[in-house]
Amino acid sequence: MSGRVVSVTLDGLTGRAIEVEADIVGGLPRTVIVGLPDVTVNEARDRCKSAVVNSGAPWPDQRITINLAPSTLPKSGSHYDLAIAMAVIAAQKAVPAEALAGTAFVGELALDGRLRAVPGVLPATLAAAEAGCTHVVVPEVNVPEAELVDGIAVTGVRSLRHLVALMTGEEVPDDPPVPPIEPPAAAPWGSADRLSGLDLADVAGHEDVRLAVLVAAVGGHHLSMVGPPGVGKTMLAQRLPGLLPDLGRQDAIEVSAVHSVAGLLAPDVPLLTRPPFLDPHHTASAAAIVGGGSRQVRPGAMSLAHRGVLFLDEAPEFTVNVLEALRQPLESGRIVVARSARTVVYPARFQLVIAANPCPCGQAATLDSACRCTPAMRRRYGERISGPIRDRIDIRRTLTAPSRPELAATVAAGRRTVELAQRVLEARDRQGSRLAGTPWRTNADVPGTELRKAWPLAEEARVLLDRQLHADKLNPRSADRVLRLAWSVADLHGHDLPGGADVRTALSLRSDLPLDAAMRSLVAA
Amino acid sequence: MNRGESERDRLVLSIATEPLDALARDLVSSHGIAAVAGACRGESGSPHVPEAWVERVALAPVDQVLDAGAAARARWITPAHPAWPAALGDLAGVDDHGAAPWGVWVRGEGPLEVDRAVSVVGARSCTTYGAEVAGDLGADLADRGWTVVSGAAFGIDACAHRGALAVAGRTVAVLACGVDVPYPQAHATLLDRIAHEGWIIAEHPPGSVPHRHRFLTRNRLIAALGAGTVVVEAAPRSGSLNTLRWADRLGRSSMAVPGSVLSQQSGGAHRAVREGEAVLVTSADDVAQELDGLGWSDLGATETLTDDSRRLHATLPREGGVTVGELVVLLDASLRQVRAGLALLERRGHARRADGGWIALGPLPG
Ligand SMILES: Nc1ncnc2c1ncn2[C@@H]1O[C@H](COP(=O)(O)OP(=O)(O)O)[C@@H](O)[C@H]1O
Ligand SMILES: [Mg+2]
Repeated sequence: MSGRVVSVTLDGLTGRAIEVEADIVGGLPRTVIVGLPDVTVNEARDRCKSAVVNSGAPWPDQRITINLAPSTLPKSGSHYDLAIAMAVIAAQKAVPAEALAGTAFVGELALDGRLRAVPGVLPATLAAAEAGCTHVVVPEVNVPEAELVDGIAVTGVRSLRHLVALMTGEEVPDDPPVPPIEPPAAAPWGSADRLSGLDLADVAGHEDVRLAVLVAAVGGHHLSMVGPPGVGKTMLAQRLPGLLPDLGRQDAIEVSAVHSVAGLLAPDVPLLTRPPFLDPHHTASAAAIVGGGSRQVRPGAMSLAHRGVLFLDEAPEFTVNVLEALRQPLESGRIVVARSARTVVYPARFQLVIAANPCPCGQAATLDSACRCTPAMRRRYGERISGPIRDRIDIRRTLTAPSRPELAATVAAGRRTVELAQRVLEARDRQGSRLAGTPWRTNADVPGTELRKAWPLAEEARVLLDRQLHADKLNPRSADRVLRLAWSVADLHGHDLPGGADVRTALSLRSDLPLDAAMRSLVAA
Repeated sequence: MNRGESERDRLVLSIATEPLDALARDLVSSHGIAAVAGACRGESGSPHVPEAWVERVALAPVDQVLDAGAAARARWITPAHPAWPAALGDLAGVDDHGAAPWGVWVRGEGPLEVDRAVSVVGARSCTTYGAEVAGDLGADLADRGWTVVSGAAFGIDACAHRGALAVAGRTVAVLACGVDVPYPQAHATLLDRIAHEGWIIAEHPPGSVPHRHRFLTRNRLIAALGAGTVVVEAAPRSGSLNTLRWADRLGRSSMAVPGSVLSQQSGGAHRAVREGEAVLVTSADDVAQELDGLGWSDLGATETLTDDSRRLHATLPREGGVTVGELVVLLDASLRQVRAGLALLERRGHARRADGGWIALGPLPG
C-alpha cells in the first residue's frame, strides 16, 4: 500500500515541488524517513503519528517508509508534516485519490492534530504553482500570503481532521483557529511602519545631505554620512525610505517571500509594498545581520533589506565579520549562508546607508573640539569599513554641527517628503524608460561598461570626465561611479543627457564638495 | 541745509535721475540742489536739465510719491534728518562729485540702527556650503549686536538675512527697486519679515522696478552702511565683488570667506584675498576682530590722528597715487593697519584716491 502527495522544499527562497511517498509494508512497526531529511524533518515521524492518531485516523502498526523525492535535494523544516500525514492516510485509502491530485500540502502538525503556521508559505506556494499544482493546502493563518500567488487555489485548514473532512465530504469539525507564528523574540530592528510620517523637511540644516539623500533615492546609490553624534545622521537615514517609490508587484512578492521565510510576515498584510528599512544594531549577532542560525537557516537583516535600505548606524562599531560580509551582497546582490554541509542563497540587493562618527570619541569634526583621538586612531576608525566597500559607496557627505541647532531650522525651510517623493518617482520613470528591456532598474545597477556604451554622454560632460581621468583625479572605476551619479542628477533635473553641470554635481557628491545652486533649489522650499 | 535745499528737493532729484548720474551731480555742484530740483519741476530759469528728467517728475509729482511712500509705510529721509545714517555720507568723498544718495526711503519700525553694521553679500547661485556659512555668519554677527546688511537677493543675501532673523537680530535689506516692491518675487515673505523685524531701504521712489544698473549702484549703499563687507561666495565676475570694491573705496574693511579651491563659486573671493583686496575671515569672531581692530565700534567725531596715521600721511605722495599694497611694503605695516589709517585720513579730508592709488591732501593739523 502506498500513498503519494506533493509538498515543497525551500532552498533559500527557491522552492522545488517534491513528492512525499508513504509505503506501508509488513514488518516491525517502525517509521523511517528517507530522502536527505535533516534533524528537523526526522522529528516529523513522531509528530505525524500522534497527530494522525489524535485525529481519529489509524496509524498502521507496520513498517512505514516515507520517501521524500527527489532524494538528492536536502530537506529541512517542519512544514512537511502535513504532506507526510496525508501520504500515510492516502496509503490507507482513507481519502479519495482524486482529491489529492495536483494539490501541494504545507504545514506543521501539533500532536493533537491541529495545524501550526509555518514560515515560507509564500515561496512554497510560488514553487507549487510553478510545478503545475492547481491547489495548495496551508495552515489557515497562512492563507493570505499563499493567495498572493496567481493561478493556484488556496485552502486553509485548522487541523488534520478538518482537512480529511473536507476531502471526504464529511461535516467539518469546529477546531480553534491557527495562531500566527510567534515573531522572533527580540529582532534587532523594528518594523518599517515606524518610519511612516517621517519628513525630510524635519531635518534642520544639512541642505547638502538632504540633497545627497534625494539623489541616493533617485538612483539607488549607496550613501555614507560621517559626523559628530547628534547632528542628525540617523534622522536623515530614516528619511530615505519615505522618498523611495512603492515596490513593483514582482519586487513586492520577492521581498514578502524573504520576510515569509524569516517568519516575519504579518498575517493580515502579507504583501510588503514599501521598500523595507533594516537598521540592525551593531551588537546584533552576525547570524541576525548576515543570515544563518544554528537549527534553521534564516535570512538576516541584509536579506530582509532586499529591494530596500540597509542602514548601519555607527558602522565602524560592527564586527569585522559583519562588515566584510557586506562585500558579497554589494557585488552580487545575493548572500550565501553556509551551514554545515549546506549552503543557502538569499537575495540581498539592498541600498546601503552607513553613518559613522569621525573618530572613536566622535568629536573630531567639530570646531573647538576636545577630541584627543590621534590621527592614527581616526584613520584606523574610518578604515574599519574596508576599501572595497567604501569604494562602492557613491555618495559621501561629512556633516558638521550648525553654529546653533535651532538656527538651522529657521534659516531655510526644506521641501517636504511628499513633494520630493514625487520628483524621485518622475526620475525613476525616466530611468525606467531608458532601462526598459535591460536587467537593470536604477542607475546604480548599470555596469559602467554598459552605461558608457549604451548611453553616450554629452560632449561637455565627456570632456570633463576625461580630464579628471587624465589628471589622475579619478580611476576608471570611480569614473564609472561618477557617471552613474551624473545620470541620477540628470534624471532629477529632467535632463535628457547628463551635461557638464550634472557631472560636476556628481563629482561633488562623490568627493564631499559643496553642491551648486541648481541642486539647492531642489530641496530648499 | 544750505541754499534752501529741502527734503522735497532731494526727493525730486531721486525721481528725476538715476543714482550716480554724472550730469546731475555736475549740475548740483554748480547750481545747488534747490535750483536743479526746480528745473526738474519745470520751473523757469537756469539751469537747463534734460527733458526726460522733467517728464519723470511730471509723471510722478512729489506729493504723489510721498503718498505712495506713506501707503507703503515708508519714510523719505535725507542728510538733514536726525535718523540719517552718517555712514552713507562717506560716499560723498568717494568720487569727484560724490556718490552719496540724495536720500533714502526706509520701511520698518523705529529709527534705522546701523551704527554697528556689517554687510554680508555673495553669490546668488551659492552652494550648500555658502548657504550654511552665510546663515551662521548672519546669526552669529547679529547675536554680537551687529546689524546685518545685505541685498535680499537669492543665495547668500537671503541666508544672511535669515540668519540674523533667526536669532531675533537686526537686519537691513537694501533694494535696487522701491522699498515696497517685492523683488525677487520669491522673497516676498522674507522681505515682509525684514520690514517687520528690521528695515528695508532704497534710494528709488516706491514702486520703482529694478534695473541692471540699479543693482550696481545699490551695492555702494550696502558697502557704505557696513563697517565692513564680507563676501561669502563669489564667482570671478560676481556682482558681490563690486560691493567689495565699493567697501574698499570707502576705506571700509573688505573681507572674504574661503571656500573649496575646486569650487567655481569661491573663485572670486579667493582672488580678492590673493590680490590683497580682502582679508580672509572664517567666522563671526574673525569679522568682529577685524572690525573692532579698525576702531569701528566706537568710531565718532572724536577720533584723533594717531602717530601711525601721521606716518602714513607723510608716506603718501601728493600726486601719482600709491596702492595699498605698496604702502604695506613701504611702511612695513599690516594690510589692516594701512586700510584703517587711510580710512581715517580720508574721512578727515587728508587723503583721497587718485590715479589708481592714494595721495595725501593738505598738511595735517599739529
Ligand atoms: N539637523 C537636525 N534637525 C533637527 N533635529 C535634529 C538635527 N540633528 C539632531 N536633531 C535632534 O537630535 C536627535 C538625535 O539626532 P540623530 O539623528 O540621532 O543624530 P546622529 O545620528 O547624528 O547622532 C534627533 O532625534 C533630533 O531630535
Ligand atoms: Mg545616530
